[in-house]
Amino acid sequence: MRALAQIWQRHDLGKWIIGLIILLLLALPLLQYIPSEETLVTNLLLFSFTQMFMLVTLASNWNLTGGFTGYVDFGHAVFFGLGAYGTGIVMAKAGWPFVPALVVGAIVSAVFALLIGGATLRLKGPYFSIAMLGTLVAMREIVRVSRPLTGGGAGLTLPPYLNRPLFYYITLVLAILVVLFIRWLRQTEFGASLIAIREDEVGAEMRGINTTRHKITIFIIAAFSSGIVGGLWAYQNTFIDPDIVFLPARTVEMVMMTMLGGLGTVAGPVIGAATIYWLRDVVWANFLDYHLIMQGLLLILIVLFVPEGIMGTLGDRSGTTVGRLWGKYISPAREGTTQAEVNP
Amino acid sequence: MTGNGQQPLLEGRGVSKYFGGLAALSDVDFAVYSGEVMGLIGPNGSGKTTLFDCLSRVQEISDGQVFFKGKEITNKKSYQVAHMGLARTFQVIRVYRKMTVLDNMLLSRQWGGQGMLQIFRPSQQRTKKRAHELAKFLLLDHVIDEKAGNLSGGQQRLLEIGMALMPNPDLILLDEATSGVNPTLIETIKDRIRELNEKEHKTFLLIEHNIHFIADLCSRVVVLDYGQKLAEGTPAEIMENEAVIEAYFGAYGEGENDSEA
Repeated sequence: MRALAQIWQRHDLGKWIIGLIILLLLALPLLQYIPSEETLVTNLLLFSFTQMFMLVTLASNWNLTGGFTGYVDFGHAVFFGLGAYGTGIVMAKAGWPFVPALVVGAIVSAVFALLIGGATLRLKGPYFSIAMLGTLVAMREIVRVSRPLTGGGAGLTLPPYLNRPLFYYITLVLAILVVLFIRWLRQTEFGASLIAIREDEVGAEMRGINTTRHKITIFIIAAFSSGIVGGLWAYQNTFIDPDIVFLPARTVEMVMMTMLGGLGTVAGPVIGAATIYWLRDVVWANFLDYHLIMQGLLLILIVLFVPEGIMGTLGDRSGTTVGRLWGKYISPAREGTTQAEVNP
Repeated sequence: MTGNGQQPLLEGRGVSKYFGGLAALSDVDFAVYSGEVMGLIGPNGSGKTTLFDCLSRVQEISDGQVFFKGKEITNKKSYQVAHMGLARTFQVIRVYRKMTVLDNMLLSRQWGGQGMLQIFRPSQQRTKKRAHELAKFLLLDHVIDEKAGNLSGGQQRLLEIGMALMPNPDLILLDEATSGVNPTLIETIKDRIRELNEKEHKTFLLIEHNIHFIADLCSRVVVLDYGQKLAEGTPAEIMENEAVIEAYFGAYGEGENDSEA
């Protein structure tokens, strides 16, 4: 195992493997065009991947406020919903083409984030979480009663456009861009300041960080990106109504995926979203009524045994049993991160 | 250096702070002059930390005004005051526990001329150099890549001082920098404060229960009791002041008190 770890580190295999996975994902829809007796890649498979890419993006966005900044947002689905409705309304009612409509949806989300964030981001901890959950529910009802604009509870039908490979590529590229963006952001002073806010907001402010501006900026960025996902989802689904887009369970999903992968890590939401999506759709789906029980059980197991998630546990090897075992047998800590002579 | 006729670096005029009906500070007049090391003492619950919080804008001031470098900062936010050159440490240690010592320092960097867009880039070489220099100065260079939460209490105090010094401030407020610190490190902290004051002309305001620390370092001491200014003078004058002795009930003779309500 150690030898493997050494080879891994020397050749930076992680990067190659990520590159390979991306190449395979890029090539996947092309398999459709290989003539063969059986269909190698069904539209359903592409659809499943599209869903997964959207979830990766949503979980990554949620991680920006919930993971990096420490503001656990139980209403993040409101930005997904506003993106869906923003895009849907200008397409269905005004007849706009998709791309400008998508931008409108994302901007609607971002502007709403600016307005609501100015108020809710003053709250701390559970108060913020509950205020955002309230925002989500309130927005769902507002959309439901604004019948002339939104179609109300009966929903809104978008011009149908069935092109699975196209949605596949758009969502894949979006997910890659968002993850790369977060990876870059993490290395800037802005990214580090977000973590400082999470660790100690009063201290961060005293040390010169304009915490309000940082929080609102990241909130808007996350909302914009989730708005894009919402717009894509609406167009791909061709039908939206308040109950399917402003779904509290969607936020729970983002929270769970991020927690499994690792709060405040770049790769965490990606791993978490992929794991939970395939577990749910491939494994749990066979258990019908029990799949929610399994989902709940998984959440409990995460909190008990890998509270810092997969990436968090691998990053901080000393904190948990799993992390210690990993550090001892599989991948020793890098130089410079060794434990010094310090008090517990 | 009592600064006769000199404009104070930090000045509080009639500073009051009420928590409901409780007056934590009432009408405190107060001035720190450039280049001095001033002490702020008083029994537990006398309002020392509240005064620090008001001065550094962590808490709202109920009544009165605060001036820093001649400009009113009564309604400014603490990050703005930090940008003006005021730094502080906290009685309850506030370091970013999950970050390395180096990252802690880098996040408390120089603020002058920082635009919004400049923060979207990695830390600059200049900042890193200063962080390494300060870590060495505060005997933290051997743990610079260690997570701050893994350091001892004393090392965390030193790190907090380092974080306060990173932006090269003009005035540093130290809130019980020696509490929970072993005697050797206390000597180190004392030497560092003296060195910074003498060589770089940094101004210090210290909250301390360690009376020897105050007597060795400070040229002037202000005593608070029940939120009011009880006395002001040189350490020698203060130690002979009967009102002060009464307020402490002779407690200062024991040397140090670690906790404050």
